[in-house]
This record gives sequence, structure tokens and C-alpha cells, in this order.
Amino acid sequence: MKRPLLPAGLTALDAATVLARWLLGGLFIYMGCRKALHPALFLDLLREYQMVQSPPALNSIAIALPWVEIFCGLLLLAGIAVRGTALLLAGMLAVFTAVVLHRALGVQAVQAIPFCAVKFNCGCGGGPEFICAKLPENIGMFLLAVWLLAGRGRAFCALYTWPPHRAQPRPGV
Amino acid sequence: MPNHDNGPPQTAPQTGARQPGRILIEALMVAAAGVAFAFLANQLSPRGLNPAINYYPGDSKASGVPPLVAAPGVASGANVPAPAPSPAALLRERLEKNGLHLIERAEVEKLIHDPRREQSLILFIDARDEDLFHAGHIPGAFEFYPYYAGKYLADVLAPCQFAEQIIIYCAGGDCEDSESAALFLRNAGVPAAKLFVYGGGMTEWEAAKLPLESGPRNSGNLRNPGP
Repeated sequence: MKRPLLPAGLTALDAATVLARWLLGGLFIYMGCRKALHPALFLDLLREYQMVQSPPALNSIAIALPWVEIFCGLLLLAGIAVRGTALLLAGMLAVFTAVVLHRALGVQAVQAIPFCAVKFNCGCGGGPEFICAKLPENIGMFLLAVWLLAGRGRAFCALYTWPPHRAQPRPGV
Repeated sequence: MPNHDNGPPQTAPQTGARQPGRILIEALMVAAAGVAFAFLANQLSPRGLNPAINYYPGDSKASGVPPLVAAPGVASGANVPAPAPSPAALLRERLEKNGLHLIERAEVEKLIHDPRREQSLILFIDARDEDLFHAGHIPGAFEFYPYYAGKYLADVLAPCQFAEQIIIYCAGGDCEDSESAALFLRNAGVPAAKLFVYGGGMTEWEAAKLPLESGPRNSGNLRNPGP
């Protein structure tokens, strides 16, 4: 007898969403760890954006961002509060992408080079990168987060909704 | 055991109006827990930062150094400004404003062979991180990464008080850590007149194939030992 490829009740789309969740979680853990291991370097890179002047505010952002990324990555791997985490990550990615794009346009204007030749360390965790590689990477992660936000792929989740909402009986049951 | 769902399939479907609200609340709770986790992890990490410290006391970004990127909306070519002063001139100006001094490579090279160095009257201070310090530093230099000044201050302060001249360097180029380290030491009570920042830093030193020591201070693992 032929053994089914996927566990009972799990469609290929659900399985793909679980893999997407693990991929996104893994990426955020990796990038967060790279920053958390060198917080002073990350602080330096954040300062290059010249968006926050107050030292306590700048330091707090440099402290919080890497560990929040790791925390969100762990939640996604475990499948805890998946949609809330996905919404938070989508929001963060949207802001990061806008800020990185703004800086890339500035670098392009100063150096008078083609947009895709702009390369700098955005503090994203991957070291110096070409902007034309960084933007699709961010957009890809943003789309993964939106996909998770849509509510598919609940398999292998420890606590899909946090706090777990009280089950309401179906009408007539 | 996979939990295929702890939510909707066994329960009544939620209305479209309630669902986004729940997700938003969940996101806010995740954010709050994440920030709490971050500050706790930072507290426990040996490399954690102190939110209250100004790690850039020189604050070049607020004192006229041209930013890496142009301000948005400034068209290049329009209203051509006067030629900008060189980075070295800006650094010298900034240091002098704080009572510190800039020192060039030729002078640093002389000091490395000065007999007063053997008597600890001339000190070298490396303001780069631990990994870079161990990879190679000016022979005999003390390690003083200003982001964790408290960790190094006890070892460095007494020799600094005794020394006649202290040369502080970091990677060179855009690096401001030597300036920050000098200001930390000045604020800790080391007279500013003794403090000299070597602006060319390690990049220039290595390019000139000048003596380097790897590993801990006074390890004796020398490269390019020279005459």
C-alpha cells in the first residue's frame, strides 16, 4: 500500500506555508544573531542613518532590534502567535526597506553611480550588500510574512494564537 | 505531536471585523514581550550596551562632518558649494575643540622606537574590538574598546596617569572609536594634553608594513619587527 507523502489533513499548500514559516523564522534568527553578537558595530551602522540623534534612543534601538528579531524568529519556528508575529515582522520589514532605499538613493546621488552599483552595509545582518540584491530579499521576506498573516499553515504550531482564544461552539452544535 | 490548530476550525468563524483587531493585539503583545526579552538578553550578554551612555562623545555627525548621504531633495550640481575641508582637517579641528591632538604616522613611527616607550612613558592604546586587537595591534598597545570602557578602564587608567604621551588609534578612515576612547580617558581624569589620536589608524599602519603584535598585549608574537 502506498504511504501518503504528507500527514493526514495536510495539503501541499499547508506544508509549503509551514516551510515558509520555518524559513522566515530561521532567517530572522540568523540576522538577529549577527547583530546581537556585535552590538557596538550595529550601533555604529544605525548611527550612519542619522535618523535618531538622542544617544539613549539610538542605544535602545540598537539593543532592542537584534533580540526582537531573534525572539520573533523563535516564535515562528515554534509556531507561537504566528499571525501577530508575522504582522510585526511585515511592519518592521516595510520600515527597514523604506529606510534602506532612502539611504541607497542618497548614496547614489552622492557617488553618482547607477542604482544597482550602490553597495553598503545596511546593518541588516548580512554585511555589505548591493542594493539591487537587498531590496528583492526584503520584499521576498515581506511577502512570506504577509502569506503567514493570511492564516494558512497552522500545522506544527505550538500555540497558533496567543493568548489562545476561548473556543465557541458552532451554532446548533 | 503536531497541533494542526488551536483556533478556528473547531470554533465558530470570527467576523472579519474582529480578526484584524485580534491579530493587531497579538502583534503588540509580541512586540512588548520581544522588547522585554531584548533588554533582559542585553543585560545578561557580556557584549551588552548601556542605553544611558553616549558612545559618541565627539559626536562628529552633529559637528559639521559631511554625512555619507546627501540630504533628500538636494540636487547634485546645483549651487556648487565651496570645497569641503579634508577629513583629516575636520578631525584635527574636532579634536582641538576637545583639547586633544592629532598625530601623523611619521611621528608615531618615531615614538615606537623612542626609549621612553620602554619606561611606559609613551603608551599606545588600541580602540578596536577584541577580535581585531588579537589579530594584530601596535606592539605593547593596551586594549581599550570604548563601547565597553568599564571593562578596560581599571587596567589602563594608572598607566595613563603615569605616561607622558598616549597615542590612541582605531581602524582609521571613518572610524571614530579612537576619538571616543580619548574622550572617555579625558573624562576619567587623564589630562587632555597627553592624548594624541592617530587618525591614519591601523589601516595606514598595516599598509606601511610597520611592526605588529598578535594575540594579547606583550605576547611577543611580532610581525614586521623592523630594524
